[in-house]
Amino acid sequence: MKKRFKKILSLILVGAMSVSMLTACGGKAEQAAAPAGEEAAPAKEEAATEEATPAAEETASNEAGSTPRNETLYFAGQQWGSINDWNPMSANSNNAMGITQNDASRILIYESLFMYNMLDGKLYGLLGKDYKWNDDQTELTVTMNPDAKWSDGTPVTAEDVAYTFDCHIKYNSSKGNDYGSYIESVTAADDETVVFKALLDDTGKAVNPLKVLGYLPDLYVMQKAYLEKVEERNGEDADKVKQDKMEDLVASGPYHPYYDDDQKVVFERDDNYWGVSLWGGLPAPKYICHNIFADNAACQVALAAGEVDIDQQFITDVQKLWEEDGLPISTYVDEAPYGICASLPTIFYNVEVAGLDDVNVRKAIAWAVDYDQIISSAMSNQSPTFKDVPRSIMNPTEGEQALLDHEALKPYQFEGNDIDGANKLLDDAGIVDTDGDGIREIDGKNLSYKAECPEGWSDWQATLEIVAAAGKNIGIEIETYFPDANTFYDDMTTCKFEIGMFWTPGAAIACPYLRAANFFSKEYAELDVNWSGNYGHYMNDEADAILKKIPNETDTAKLKEYYTELSKIYLEDVPSFTAMYKPQMFHTVNETVWTGYPQLDDGNNIPPMLCTDGYGIAGLYNLKNVEQ
Amino acid sequence: MKNQIRQIFHSSKFLGGFCVMIFLLLLMIVYPLFVTDDPLEMIGQGNFFKPGTYISVTDTVDTDTYTLKLDNVGARLESKISVEDRADMADWLEKFGGVGISQIDVTDAEGLIRLWEQYYSKDAAQDGLLISKKKYYARLDKKIDGILEDTDLKIAAEDPETGDISIAETIPANAYVNTKDIATKRTFILGTDNFGRDVLTELASATKTSLMIGLVAGAVATLIGLILGLLAGYVGGFVDDTIMFVTNLFTVIPSFVLLILISYSVGESARGVTLVATIIGLTSWPWTTRSVRSQVISLRNRDHVNLSKLSGHSLFRIILTDILPYLASYVVMALIVQISSGILSEAQLSMIGLGPATTKVSTLGLMMSWAMTYSAHLNGAWWAFLPVIFSIALISFSLNLMNIGLDQVFNPQLRD
Repeated sequence: MKKRFKKILSLILVGAMSVSMLTACGGKAEQAAAPAGEEAAPAKEEAATEEATPAAEETASNEAGSTPRNETLYFAGQQWGSINDWNPMSANSNNAMGITQNDASRILIYESLFMYNMLDGKLYGLLGKDYKWNDDQTELTVTMNPDAKWSDGTPVTAEDVAYTFDCHIKYNSSKGNDYGSYIESVTAADDETVVFKALLDDTGKAVNPLKVLGYLPDLYVMQKAYLEKVEERNGEDADKVKQDKMEDLVASGPYHPYYDDDQKVVFERDDNYWGVSLWGGLPAPKYICHNIFADNAACQVALAAGEVDIDQQFITDVQKLWEEDGLPISTYVDEAPYGICASLPTIFYNVEVAGLDDVNVRKAIAWAVDYDQIISSAMSNQSPTFKDVPRSIMNPTEGEQALLDHEALKPYQFEGNDIDGANKLLDDAGIVDTDGDGIREIDGKNLSYKAECPEGWSDWQATLEIVAAAGKNIGIEIETYFPDANTFYDDMTTCKFEIGMFWTPGAAIACPYLRAANFFSKEYAELDVNWSGNYGHYMNDEADAILKKIPNETDTAKLKEYYTELSKIYLEDVPSFTAMYKPQMFHTVNETVWTGYPQLDDGNNIPPMLCTDGYGIAGLYNLKNVEQ
Repeated sequence: MKNQIRQIFHSSKFLGGFCVMIFLLLLMIVYPLFVTDDPLEMIGQGNFFKPGTYISVTDTVDTDTYTLKLDNVGARLESKISVEDRADMADWLEKFGGVGISQIDVTDAEGLIRLWEQYYSKDAAQDGLLISKKKYYARLDKKIDGILEDTDLKIAAEDPETGDISIAETIPANAYVNTKDIATKRTFILGTDNFGRDVLTELASATKTSLMIGLVAGAVATLIGLILGLLAGYVGGFVDDTIMFVTNLFTVIPSFVLLILISYSVGESARGVTLVATIIGLTSWPWTTRSVRSQVISLRNRDHVNLSKLSGHSLFRIILTDILPYLASYVVMALIVQISSGILSEAQLSMIGLGPATTKVSTLGLMMSWAMTYSAHLNGAWWAFLPVIFSIALISFSLNLMNIGLDQVFNPQLRD
């Protein structure tokens, strides 16, 4: 009886609780709605009484933050967290959509002189029209595009280009530090002609003409008048100038900042954009919007739902989105590897660490790793295999592969998963396990290393797990270590890692030289904080000598010889090893709202650069709304 | 004692939980006897192969064939061309192939395909068609290429010396093989994970590891909790104050935060199964201490304890013989709860990458973590995470069921 009563009572209690929970939720929703209405009301009143007050502006932009879907191109996978500033000299903009200066810069707001196209390796004119070297490659003359205008209507002149460079140098921006070692001066010969004078070495040759050329598609041109204004308001103080928010920016690009908060960043098209004469029209989307998502999974869900048009992120089994789910999603290439693989994520050894200074150990690990497994599982087949493209210091693009003597390299090109070979190599070198713990020793010290990459970089994490599994097979203990990104950067750039995975230059006007330097450069290794390459401080005089000859060499046969020799050293000495080939950009598009995205072999020669980077921006002019 | 055990096994709830647990234990012991593969071996080259039996293609060619009079073409049509595909094909033919709608009969698959083969061209001007749709049609065309053909399949072989290609074998269209005859095959009952590892084998080994972690963590936590609780409760005074002070400190700091901090600071190389389990145990003892202490306080003034004191028995003897037996049932129940929460803690830790190393051992948490990292939940690869969740649920469920059963037997208030 007592038990039954308890049962009934518990039922009643549960019922009562659920009802009260439901009503509580309802109440909350109402409560939540009420203050919003209350807030809105005073704002309106204020707006009505004081016209054009900041409050009114704020409400206007709040409403404006949402834009018509069919006029907006949505991006995902690039901007994380809210942006800090609009300053191209800042080191900490966190403004990926607005400010990304690299070998193919993002030219939506600011513009570079030229646009790089990785498909043909050429530079296309933007603010600049033409460039020409003098005979001994010490002076680069750039002719400006006379049509180019700033957003305030004034023309973009040679003087602006020169002043931009001077500011980068004067205020020690990271770009200034980089190019300052290769460019002596940038001067305006007249309004339409800029002369880049290369820094010369002792022999009177340019230190590195490739780096001078590399400036053209990389750095944004800023307006002299505006820069002077920024300098004045910050009292020419370097730190203050670099941290200036530049919210009142003057730029030359087709878009200007429109709205941003911690949810999204929106740009609006400038309908008076000067580039109409260059492109024959305005870019199709009136608005560019990047919603700020919590993580990759959220981006992928939004892409599948058609809320995102262009997504730059790694998606596991991306082909399932169209093959199985039948969504109107596609990549640049319809079959694996689904993109143009131009970058070589590489596993660097710190050769200053005991054991890793031994070439046999470095080689054994590199031989034992199962690259097919990395490519098929960690990279979800979004990379050609090392059978398709045998390893060297070159990326898989035709242009770079043509600079190699493939026959000569054949004996050195290992394909991986060679456990027996690696074990034999170590045994022969006398690196054996003497204390029976299953781990080999050198001078009585176990070969045990930490392999690191940042937490959350899932494809790299899985790659390092596969490397660790290979270590287990050859008696070398490799444990994975996934710190936060900043700790990782710190470890890599100051050579505090043991084994670390890092990216290398992908497609750029100065590649493959840049990548070769990334693997071998002594200069990089000698930097205190080194973001440029050779993170493991590998020193090889022979390689360094070859490396020095490349920038001033124009003879293709000679270059081929040099790059083949470098590749040979790279494969023989294994200062680092490439884990996979990676698409320059993951470029996955959804055609729910927009169509006309660039495609391989569509005859337009537009690279899969998200319709925003380098010559990839040409894609923005071909977009059309999908007819409903 | 015997009577109590009999009583316990009379409780249907305990028995239910016990059976599930025994089943799991047997599975863990029996499964590896039959499947001796290394659970960490990466077999599949690719992410998340679906469950099923994988048969060597080259071996299929070499296997003895049987002739069956079956309608190959019809079956192929059924399985390869869906109703939507047919509608899309008709749509294309009408819009871009210049075929009149009256000529197209969607119900006649064969006729439709013949029309398709006649009119479809990848390079035709397809104005207004989405790129993704164009690619879809190209894929469809590839898929139905030769679907209607009922001719023999020729297999070519390359001469290793001259490199000449010659026909090595002809396979008749109605040749079949019995899957039992094929020598090399592998069944993945639960498919593979993102690394290409067999999920079921991994799961069997992971459940074992997780249970071990649970046991060690539970034992450590219960042991610490018990000792401190007994001392605090029985000795009282300054000892009690000190122990309770420390216990309260640990209660205030969320144990999971502590767990994360300790796991992070010891580094991955040290984070083996035992250490992770010990860390979990070290951070989850406070509530056991508190409840043991309160029970001991209520026990310590009982007559038999006082009698023992008067007889001059030592502190440890009193605790061990006069107090502990009265707590035994409670301690066992606390242990079970600790085991179950230890398993969950490991899963949580591994989910945020602070569990044991992926290449050394498989645990339920690690399996979940990698499945989520490679977005199995978005790709429909249910086999990579649902069985794991189910295992965790089953373990916790059986342990808790056993606990409820014990509670009913030992708790005088719940006794019928």
